[in-house]
Amino acid sequence: MEKKIGVYICTDCEIGSSLDIDKLTKVAIKQKASVVKTHPSLCQKEGVEFIKRDMAQEGVNAVIIAACSSRVNYDVFNLGIPLVERVNLREGVVWTHTPNDEDTQMMAEDYIRMGILKMQKMEAPEPYKVENLSKNVLVVGGGLAGITAANEAAKAGYDVFLIEKNDSLGGWMTKIYKQAPTKPPYTDMEEPFINNLIKEIQQNPKIKIYTSSLIEKIEGSPGIYDVTVKQNGNLETFRAGAIVEAAGTVPYDATKIIHLGFGKYPNVVTNYMMEDMTLKGTIVRPSDGKPVKSVAFIQCAGQRDENHLPYCSATCCVESLKQAKYIRLQDPDSKAYIFYRDMRTPGHYEYFYKSMQNDAGVFLTKGDVIGITEDENKNLAIEVENTLLGEKIRVNADLVVLATGMVPVTALGEEILPPGVKPGDEFIPYVMIETDILNLVYRQGGEVPVLVNGYPDSNFICFPYETRRTGIYAAGSVRAPMDISSTIIDATGAALKAIQCIELTARGEALHPRVGDISYVDIFMQKCTQCKRCTEECPFGAINEDEKANPLYNPTRCRRCAICMGACPERIMSFKNYSVDMIGNMVKNIEVPEEEEEKPRAIVFVCENDAYPALDMAGLHRLSYNPFIRVVPLRCIGSMNLVWVADALSKGIDGILLLGCQYGEDYQCHMATGSHLAKIRLSKVAETLDRLKLESGRVQMTQVSISEYHKIPQILDEFMEKLKGFGPNPYKGF
Amino acid sequence: MVEEKRILVVGGGISGISAAVDAAEVGYDVTLIEKNPHLGGRVAQLNKYFPKLCPPNCGLEINFRRIKNNPRIKIYTLAEVEKISGSEGDFDVTVKLNPRYVNENCTACRACVEVCPIERPNEFNFGMDKTKAVYLPQDFAFPLRYVIDDKLCKKAECAKCVEACTYNAIDLNMKVQSLSLKVGSIVWATGWKPYDAAKIDNLGFGKYQNVITNMMLERLAAQNGPTNGKILRPSDGREVSRVAFVQCAGSRDENHLPYCSYVCCLASIKQASYIREQYPDAQVIIFYIDIRTPGRYEKVYLKAQKDEKIKFIKGKVAKIEEDPATKDLTVTAEDTLSAQKIHEKFDLVVLATGMAPTTREWKIPANVSYDVDGFITSSPEIGGMYAVGCALKPLDVYSSIQSSTAAALKAIQSLVRR
Amino acid sequence: MADATVIKPDLDFVKGIIASGGESLKKCYQCATCSVVCNVTPDNKPFPRKEMVWAQWGLKEKFIGNPDVWLCHQCNDCTVYCPRGAKPGEVLGAIRKQSIQQYSAPGFMTRLVNNKKFVPILFLFPAVLFAIVLSAAGTFHIPGGEIVFSKFFSVHLIDPIFAAAFFFGIGVGILGITKFWRDMCQACRNDSIPSGVTTGDLKGSIIETIKEILSHNKFKDCVVSRDRYLAHFLVFYSFIALGITTALAVFYLYILKIESPYSLITPLKLIGNIGAIALFVGINLMVINRFKNAGKVGIGSYFDWLLIFIIYVIVVSGILSELTRLADIAGLAYPIYFIHLVFVFSLFLYLPYSKLAHLFYRTTAICYAKYSKRQ
Repeated sequence: MEKKIGVYICTDCEIGSSLDIDKLTKVAIKQKASVVKTHPSLCQKEGVEFIKRDMAQEGVNAVIIAACSSRVNYDVFNLGIPLVERVNLREGVVWTHTPNDEDTQMMAEDYIRMGILKMQKMEAPEPYKVENLSKNVLVVGGGLAGITAANEAAKAGYDVFLIEKNDSLGGWMTKIYKQAPTKPPYTDMEEPFINNLIKEIQQNPKIKIYTSSLIEKIEGSPGIYDVTVKQNGNLETFRAGAIVEAAGTVPYDATKIIHLGFGKYPNVVTNYMMEDMTLKGTIVRPSDGKPVKSVAFIQCAGQRDENHLPYCSATCCVESLKQAKYIRLQDPDSKAYIFYRDMRTPGHYEYFYKSMQNDAGVFLTKGDVIGITEDENKNLAIEVENTLLGEKIRVNADLVVLATGMVPVTALGEEILPPGVKPGDEFIPYVMIETDILNLVYRQGGEVPVLVNGYPDSNFICFPYETRRTGIYAAGSVRAPMDISSTIIDATGAALKAIQCIELTARGEALHPRVGDISYVDIFMQKCTQCKRCTEECPFGAINEDEKANPLYNPTRCRRCAICMGACPERIMSFKNYSVDMIGNMVKNIEVPEEEEEKPRAIVFVCENDAYPALDMAGLHRLSYNPFIRVVPLRCIGSMNLVWVADALSKGIDGILLLGCQYGEDYQCHMATGSHLAKIRLSKVAETLDRLKLESGRVQMTQVSISEYHKIPQILDEFMEKLKGFGPNPYKGF
Repeated sequence: MVEEKRILVVGGGISGISAAVDAAEVGYDVTLIEKNPHLGGRVAQLNKYFPKLCPPNCGLEINFRRIKNNPRIKIYTLAEVEKISGSEGDFDVTVKLNPRYVNENCTACRACVEVCPIERPNEFNFGMDKTKAVYLPQDFAFPLRYVIDDKLCKKAECAKCVEACTYNAIDLNMKVQSLSLKVGSIVWATGWKPYDAAKIDNLGFGKYQNVITNMMLERLAAQNGPTNGKILRPSDGREVSRVAFVQCAGSRDENHLPYCSYVCCLASIKQASYIREQYPDAQVIIFYIDIRTPGRYEKVYLKAQKDEKIKFIKGKVAKIEEDPATKDLTVTAEDTLSAQKIHEKFDLVVLATGMAPTTREWKIPANVSYDVDGFITSSPEIGGMYAVGCALKPLDVYSSIQSSTAAALKAIQSLVRR
Repeated sequence: MADATVIKPDLDFVKGIIASGGESLKKCYQCATCSVVCNVTPDNKPFPRKEMVWAQWGLKEKFIGNPDVWLCHQCNDCTVYCPRGAKPGEVLGAIRKQSIQQYSAPGFMTRLVNNKKFVPILFLFPAVLFAIVLSAAGTFHIPGGEIVFSKFFSVHLIDPIFAAAFFFGIGVGILGITKFWRDMCQACRNDSIPSGVTTGDLKGSIIETIKEILSHNKFKDCVVSRDRYLAHFLVFYSFIALGITTALAVFYLYILKIESPYSLITPLKLIGNIGAIALFVGINLMVINRFKNAGKVGIGSYFDWLLIFIIYVIVVSGILSELTRLADIAGLAYPIYFIHLVFVFSLFLYLPYSKLAHLFYRTTAICYAKYSKRQ
């Protein structure tokens, strides 16, 4: 269908009074818009009707609304057609610049021009439809998290495959005597409910359970994961739509904590062994089988310790309090000592702590355990300093229980860095630990990249289910140390995310953060040079490679960030509504005044997730900023292609500024590595600039967060000031 | 007004938003109601999140975009649940819609603000500054639309804003409306309130100006707060050089909140870091009973411990005295590891005030059970209703959202079961 | 490992404290609110936080020669502000009881006094004793004629019996404080017990102590139970007044050789009656205060109430016996007088074992604190 572009310029909100609307109209007409109209108030009912009338009567099917920011009136301007583009004249121009000023006018004109150019290059995307999509959920791990995820997904009507490597379900939960309180009044230990849960899922026909099974490999992508499972030597393949990784943890190897004597003294045991002993009947001294009269619990054994586990396992304080109860119940004259660094009983566990404190035979103090010694009768003496008792103390005990922490099974393997990356590099795109859990057939490795300490946790506070692998959600203690209640919540949430992934994929829509985006990448393979940048740089591992290093794109893994588009030197990655050519065209058509006019021009590429709203906020606050810049929003700053820099500079644009999210350790880029990749690309552009005999300082990147809108004018002014120092771009007028 | 069967989410903070968005993105219809005039709840008041010190508006922005792009989500602000009947799969809910007095014509042009003669304390900033009676709830307000405080507005008597508004966006005759919803399940994301620190009578809040709460500090440090992000002493607007954090101010305390509020240790460490960022010479002392930084949050603690200008003292502050002349504060605590009672002078004291569930005082008009502290218990007898976030227990943002995502599935199950 | 102190918790000690009014002991989680809100504690190694953890851990030996448990005036500010409901005030009270038991020989006497079960024995003993003495003297009946108490219980019998009880009590107390003092000096060398450099000026310390006690200044530092200042002040000075009365009585009888009853306007009677009224007011205030603060700090232990009960009966029976005597109701006056004597005797005899023993130990602790510059 022929594209018929209508440009509608709103004159409200100071737009009409600050700009020469006639001239704007002329610019639009010159840019070959079919219909160009103005309206006193587009966002009001009559305004929308005004546009709709043109759509109906004049056949306008691509609408450009030159009014306010796309962040407002989104519902008002939902015209029911895919091709609607907003030109931000309000926040981006009149609220932030001198009214009725030549420079302000030029800015508005450029934006109108760029908007039309963008629309001309834009095509309506069609959703990607997957054939033979499976709505089944694969759950890896049959402990509390896995069982819960399976059960909850099944209850919502989805079929589940549950894979457990052991011959029985339940994991650690079947190995404990009692569980810590999960319900009011939060003071009493509870019978573990895992067995009921196991029964429940075993009886559910929607859940197919594979015990003693391992995953041989997982091919494909969300909606079409082909899973090969090996059970008792037999291979079986089935298709699943999304994956919950609930593979759990193992105890930290206590023998490594040398000063605490595990492995050396028979009566030093771990918290896991304590559960086992209690479950089997009596708590006895391993050395002589005598019942235990006194137990010393040593908290944070090998935890919160940079030499061992740097993190806190979150549950041990409560677990030790619970185990103190075991011994106190076994013998009312027994003594339980707990040496803690900080008693961590968050939330309602405070009640449990209090109830355990209230037992006369439980002795608690903060303290640092220096060492343990053993006498000839295998009795143990624990030496503790920095105690609340006002001195360094020594306590004798029959048994020492080390509160050892948990290690996710995802950490139990060799760390493999991406090609060309060395440990300690400033930029490590992802950390892959090869563990044989999922055995994904992905170009970037077989597992989900880990965030920190071997946990495949989310980097985002607001999006806790975010992983670096679309459609794969970590749940339970494999993703972060957590207690029973949190595990149940987490696993239920992971099941929802798996289902959500399946449903969005079935509709051909992208997942977070570009939910609902139906565009996807088209690769113009003829021009591919097999440089592998796209396959290496995709933060989500969406692109595999064939044996000749050709990219094999998996649309349902793709988050539509377009980082591949930014990476590709051949410009062969494009979306129907977002491409190198489109942005390049916009850039190239910015009017560049002659040198003598002393009106420099700079392009500011902004991340549309954070920097763009920050610019909007500057507008809302009527902060005025430099009129010589032209803002071009990008899906992610990582989609910035260097060709645009070349295009712009050769056109006489004086400088290019990137406003992206914070990168590095605490990165805020929603696409994980986008902003960092942009930074790296920029560092490589220096060469090009040298070739062009241009100062490399003309191209810069600044990290800006959504809340830093107040810094916007200063950032822009400083950049323009810097450009002034370089003098005008000598390519002007070429 | 009657709507077809859907999921109702009560509370438009981060927990409610997340639950609504997650359920809607699976493909279910969701109504999200919020009693304030804008979404975002408590997190919108935060300057930064721990552990990354990233701005909450970043995640809110993405979530708002998800709402904007999803026609399955219907939002009502200034809305409160009035009545609930029925059971799982088939609830009838009556929602009271309080008048905003500003309709959808509003373009946020703020012409009304310029003419409004009445001021009101800005509760978004805990009363540390003022807005006009017609106001934008906050910069990042979503929906971006003004609202009129009907407790103060003189309505027809004044009506200057009505004249000033060229969009006919102000309607001072708006009345309370009622909305009937048929829903299959309900998610309670009713959130929390900071515990009233004035009740902790030995810590001087409300009596000494320079004793503030942790939530107030968030506002002071936020760019869109009363001081445009400069952390200044309330008494004289001076920059701060010595700041004390008083942990467990009200939490883990039978006289106030017996439970641990979970977030305050991390919040204080976070705040200490951003104070140190703003004032490289400032000294910070955090007085604590136990530092609770579970999981990988430990790293945040470790980092703060390495900062020589942040000191941790194990001992609860139980006495704060003010020098009436300078308004400086003397904080007394016992350093329990050295058994010395110490008296330290500060120019700002921050109380790590705990969180009390909204349902501590306000009860849901339905058969819902609570624990002694007013948290909604997640017991199964509440068919079709699910509590999330801090309505369930004291949680950080991250875990709150996990509970929201989980509740989205439970809410969907309630519809599927029917 | 040489310098670590070997810790052997004594579970029975913990249980003992729990049983004698410190049942909240274990709830303490060592936040140290108590030490901070306490206005009478020194800054160096303040109490009662450290006493709480020692007691929780059953570290009995930490309380040998510990002056701090006695420096506590039990204002209960700590208890009111305690976030855990651990009631350090009550716990220290319970520990003091243990301390009394330890220092007031023989130890079983404190257990006896402190056990509800033995209440009857406590008061039956003097009653029976008096009955035997009076029977032997042949006056164990209500005499006729003008009411003169010595017709019933001759002063010549009262004086030796009561003097014996009184000096027994004082004697035990002095032995106790001697031992206590020695222990404090011993403990002083152990760093975990609050220490200080002694001034060597014992006399000065004693004078300071007396000044402090007479002024009752420490009571003014209390916040929650500020009202206790007046109550204790009244009771304290009424005891002094009644002591003076007793001394005057001895003077009248043995020096001036004037037999009772005395005219109401004699200094003896005046001081005695004013003392009695003050005591009556004071003890009532104490009871009222306890009920008033019950919600915040609890009502107190059996140990506290026993002493209050004794004093209460003494003052009420004393006043009533005087009134009934003046009203000439012999049938009431003599029995009431008998009760009065039973309780006064009990007060003397149980002086070092009851709560009143604080008179010895707190005074000594205060004196030691001054002597050792504990502040």
